[in-house]
Amino acid sequence: MKALVAYAHPVEGSFCSAVRDRLTDSLVAAGHEVDLMDLYAEEFNTTLSAEEHALHHSGPENKPAIADHARRLSSAEALVFVYPTWWGGQPAILKGWFDRVWVEGVAYTLDEGASRIRPLLRNVRRLVVVTTHGSSKWVNALQGEPGKRVILRGLRSLCHPRARSRWIAMYGVDRSRESDRGRFLDRVGSVMTRL
Amino acid sequence: MRALVVHAHPSTEGYSRALFDTAVDALCSAGHEVDVLSLYDEGFDARMTRAERVAYHSDSPVVSVDVARHVDLVTRAEMLVFVYPTWWFGLPAVLKGWLERVLVPGVGFVFDPDTRRVTPHLRGVRRIVGISTYGMTWRYTKFFNDAGRRTLSRALRLGCTGPARVTWLAMYRIDSSTPRQRKNFLARIDRELSRV
Repeated sequence: MKALVAYAHPVEGSFCSAVRDRLTDSLVAAGHEVDLMDLYAEEFNTTLSAEEHALHHSGPENKPAIADHARRLSSAEALVFVYPTWWGGQPAILKGWFDRVWVEGVAYTLDEGASRIRPLLRNVRRLVVVTTHGSSKWVNALQGEPGKRVILRGLRSLCHPRARSRWIAMYGVDRSRESDRGRFLDRVGSVMTRL
Repeated sequence: MRALVVHAHPSTEGYSRALFDTAVDALCSAGHEVDVLSLYDEGFDARMTRAERVAYHSDSPVVSVDVARHVDLVTRAEMLVFVYPTWWFGLPAVLKGWLERVLVPGVGFVFDPDTRRVTPHLRGVRRIVGISTYGMTWRYTKFFNDAGRRTLSRALRLGCTGPARVTWLAMYRIDSSTPRQRKNFLARIDRELSRV
């Protein structure tokens, strides 16, 4: 499978970067093709500008700045997100990637006279999220896990109708032991091998 | 009350600006002291930098002058008002990034390195107001969990040391709304914010 791995953490050497490495290694070892999209390393500009907003309904051909990302998204069979959960959800750089790249003509289309959008990312058959939470599962439950349904229900509704999804989360990273983190890495590796 | 109104929409005119202006005017007429932050006008960068992330759990997590100014505004505020369009079920990236970069340890919460526990730290905030426009219907918004609303009315509220009331003013199906509906929503904002 062709997997687009969207990664969003500013610090090399962080636990999140170790997760990314284990994940991509396991994918490659299992014979998958990996396209790593490191948003911080690419210095992805995350803010949807007034110009882009004005072109909202005009299709990707008028948005050269996102053409490369749109092409990579449209050719992926698996989408894998690796990020730290901050304030309950995706880091701004990743949220902005949704705002700017998952636009009309790439992720969906709104047919003339139709009241509902039609999904365009039928190429995506697997969705995997690997995320680390500084706080405990209990605190995250109180916060309502805002980021979870954005991907599992929201973005997934634009993919293949039978796309399978998987959520792999580690809670309480700030209080975790070396052995907990090692176990989590092993779990990520084994899930990726069976993608 | 001292209010901080945070606005996150790229257009310098149009309906979102009218929502923002109406909220600010209503609060001023009601005698509140109002600070405003228009994140797009300021060119606020939503991305937490490498230096900020490295300093996050240190004694001085605020490393830029701009963020320090925003931290001052938040610390003085008794009411936080957010005006934004809901995009992909949640906050626009610029507003999400603002929470990440401004409400750091020592501002929004405190992280104790010994017990490794988090405690609330927004001492002044007694009121949170969200004003948002949605492309979807109310039903779809609930199905997709309304991440933006949850982030502000739960995650952010958990950062308040005392009880903080949340007022949510939402307009659904904005794309197919009539001028009359849009006018009514502005009137509702004026009414609600005049009596907070």
